Amino acid sequence: MDYGIEDKDQETVVRLRGRLTFNDHGKLRALIREMLQTKAKRQVLDLSALEFVDSAGIGMLLIAREEMSNVDKLLILRAAAGQVKRVLTVAQLNKIVAIED
Amino acid sequence: MAPDRPPVEHSPMDRPPMEQPRVAALCGLGVPAERLERLSAALRLPLWRPGDYPDDSPSDSADPTRAAATVLALLDGLDTAEAAESWARPIAAWIEVGTLSDEALAAAAGRARRADLFAFLTTATANHVHLAARIVRAITDLHPLPDTQRDDMELALHEAVSNALVHGNLQVEGMKGLSVAALERFSQDLAARMADPLFANRRIEVAVWLDADGILVEVADEGTGYARPEHMEFGASGRGLDMIAAIAEELQLLDGGRRIRMRFPL
Repeated sequence: MDYGIEDKDQETVVRLRGRLTFNDHGKLRALIREMLQTKAKRQVLDLSALEFVDSAGIGMLLIAREEMSNVDKLLILRAAAGQVKRVLTVAQLNKIVAIED
Repeated sequence: MAPDRPPVEHSPMDRPPMEQPRVAALCGLGVPAERLERLSAALRLPLWRPGDYPDDSPSDSADPTRAAATVLALLDGLDTAEAAESWARPIAAWIEVGTLSDEALAAAAGRARRADLFAFLTTATANHVHLAARIVRAITDLHPLPDTQRDDMELALHEAVSNALVHGNLQVEGMKGLSVAALERFSQDLAARMADPLFANRRIEVAVWLDADGILVEVADEGTGYARPEHMEFGASGRGLDMIAAIAEELQLLDGGRRIRMRFPL
């Protein structure tokens, strides 16, 4: 998995690319650190270029959500498509995390 | 899952009988020629090279899930395991040579001959090559599937393979709780075990059988086993098996949790 961060006034948008699996633990730790350093309250993960996510990837997104919530930031998952959208549905993540089209 | 189901003569969860092994030839990818020739003789499988076709391989066979003869590949080294052509038809079985003796290779080849697709790799290699994705590609080469069904099957196989590698062979516990601390602990444990040959050289075995209306997949590891708890506290980990259960038509844990058997409808 790779990512690019765009820091705007109202929100931070992080574009994730590739596959997000248990092997990406180091990248997720780095990403969470970077997100905590930005000013915006709204932290948007743009998933449109993410091709595959597994249960550990979902778990790491939940850790990100929790860490943001601890400092009064809001994590939003945006524009999931294909397999990723399907997994978010199967895992019923909409009950736990804000999801936008 | 239906653990209380009464025994029946033949259930869709049984391995289909494999009266005529499909594996008709052997190829070596990175294996020294001398050893390859010795194994070819011992296994009574002629040597095959990319570009050849096994003797009786009708590519326009009436039933694409059956009949076509296949090749068993012996892999050595990450480069050959990574190459896309190592995973292309007619190769349908993959055994990583590693530190296996000729006897152990012959035993694995025997299991390969009883399945439609078969892989026997070390933990490190299976993780590196994204084994689940390779197996799903090989399945869809035999039997094309709609995108959604393909994606679901890849997720289920990936979860089964991940469980076998991470929790089975590497004996790394899942992420407990929802904190960066839990993620860091997982990171450190995973990296340490992956760097330890005692764990990273443990094997994963995947076998696939296709029949007219379903696909049966088994994933086995060499860990200490697993018992599914009645109540599960979800932290960042623990969703994999439920995802498999949501996707697969049927699911069984065998050998004390070291082997999972899944069936998917076609």
